[in-house]
Amino acid sequence: MLKKSLLAVAAAMALASSANAQDRTLTISVYSFSQDEFKELVYTPFEAICDCKIVVETGNSIERMAKIEANKANPVIDMAVLSTHDALGAARAGLLQPIDTAALSNYDKLYDIAKDPLGDNLGIGYTFYATSIVYRSDKVTVDSWADLLSPELAGNVALPDVTTNQGPPSLYMIGKAMGDTSTDLTMPIEKVGEKADDIVTFYVRSSQLAQLMQQEEIWAAPVGRFAWGRFKDNGLPMEWATPVEGQTGGMNVMVMTAGNGNEDLALQFMDFWLSTKIQTALAEALVDSPANSEVSVSDEIAANLTYGADTVGQLDLLSPSTILDNRESWLDQWNAKVVQ
Amino acid sequence: MFENRAIGLALVLPAAIFAAALFLLPVGILLSEAFRTETGWSAWAYVEFFQSPRNQTVFFRTLKLAGLVALVSAIVGYAAAFAIVNLPATSRGRMFGLVTLPLMISPVARTYAWLVILGRTGFVNQILVDLGLTETPIRILFTETAVFIGLLQLFMPLMIISLVSAMENMPRDAVSAARILGANWFQVFWRVILPLTREGLVIGGTLVFTGSMTAYITPAILGGSKVLMLETLLYQRVTVANDFVAASVIAMILIVMAFSANLLLKQLATARSTR
Repeated sequence: MLKKSLLAVAAAMALASSANAQDRTLTISVYSFSQDEFKELVYTPFEAICDCKIVVETGNSIERMAKIEANKANPVIDMAVLSTHDALGAARAGLLQPIDTAALSNYDKLYDIAKDPLGDNLGIGYTFYATSIVYRSDKVTVDSWADLLSPELAGNVALPDVTTNQGPPSLYMIGKAMGDTSTDLTMPIEKVGEKADDIVTFYVRSSQLAQLMQQEEIWAAPVGRFAWGRFKDNGLPMEWATPVEGQTGGMNVMVMTAGNGNEDLALQFMDFWLSTKIQTALAEALVDSPANSEVSVSDEIAANLTYGADTVGQLDLLSPSTILDNRESWLDQWNAKVVQ
Repeated sequence: MFENRAIGLALVLPAAIFAAALFLLPVGILLSEAFRTETGWSAWAYVEFFQSPRNQTVFFRTLKLAGLVALVSAIVGYAAAFAIVNLPATSRGRMFGLVTLPLMISPVARTYAWLVILGRTGFVNQILVDLGLTETPIRILFTETAVFIGLLQLFMPLMIISLVSAMENMPRDAVSAARILGANWFQVFWRVILPLTREGLVIGGTLVFTGSMTAYITPAILGGSKVLMLETLLYQRVTVANDFVAASVIAMILIVMAFSANLLLKQLATARSTR
């Protein structure tokens, strides 16, 4: 009797453990932005074909990087998406491993600048965004980055905080408009500091900015194209500036954590995300602009994205190493000159 | 007697261990971060923190705003509490409910409401323009004024609650007695009400001051990065710069300020009563 029930327990345990072996999981670390759409368009369809479960961790870059670093010896996260400069920081800290691009069937379809932005295949670009100035066309006309500090916009403009991804590129473009293209940003930070009283706030989230625009607190602000959808239909006359100095922007990359032991599944997921079908779906939902050059979307969709080789090629981007190497110094100058 | 004490100790022990292991120890480790250097222990992190003009501004701004909120809460709170206590029982309950109602609404929702009310096209500016007090809407959002208003509304109920319960414990006829004996209203307040309600003032003052000092949502939304307070600076140091040393310094400053405020208020209260 006792023997029989022991056997039953043992059999049940054996069954349970073999079931667990089939239950593969992939843990990913992503931005909290648009997660409902990602679940519907990327995660659920992938789970249907991979016979695995995706565990999603979200948060801002610093929180997510801190977690990857804390679990360096025994990685919890298998793949992550980060901005190029955060990814480079993680790579320098030895948290990443090169991605086996030969295993990615969609790799050759990517725009050239997305293929290896960090070097050594440590990251693959999966989306870009342009950064320009969104403005109220009934109140002002903006055709230069220098207009942000003009008397017409005094008291009616918000700028990105230097700690955001839009901050340094916007400052760089303001400098460029004033004739200084050095990446120490000393000149533009000084100019912004002189006009600090004319700037309504230094925003940290684009969602916050959309509300300020809606409430008519501001008439203009630099913003990433991914947020354009929040402005264009707000009932006010909104325009996306094409400044004479050009537009800036940024790229996000996928990375593979070092020694995670789940490389095959992570590669399969990356390939899926980079596929023409998924990149098209994300573009049509206005979630992410495609890095896959074979994606083709309607003119109406394209108008809301950073789309096409021409647009992407014209972006005046700060290199990841420039951002990483200067970040501390920019923050120090900013704290001394702008926010006192 | 000894047996009782032993039992008492035994009863307290689990809670004490729980508090020590799960609260005091982690807090201690976190706070010690700022004193630990590669070569040993030092208070250099604090010196460095206060050397930065920006940090000084943030420190004094926090002290000023929290102090002002506590002071104005006390002044308005005494008037409100006195009025409430002297109402008939039924309307007293209703009025008390009204005062505490804001406490039941999420601070996030309340703060977002202020964002609309204080905005350029908001209620306050509409009235100012309609009354002809200003031609163009004035800027209130993202200034110290906005943070002050938000904090005052958030924490004043705590002061009123403390003062109402203190006044309810005051002898019924103390005020009338003082009036009959010829005291004017100022004397009644200063020599009768204030000494008899000082416990309530100390509790309310500490709650309001500490609350204002450590509030995050209100300064973050209504002040933004141009009106940093210690709590928003702490958050920025951790999430932006991953700088746990500065964060730990700020946490320690906040704790010291909270205890000092409590001690100072107690001191003031006893100083008054011995006179």
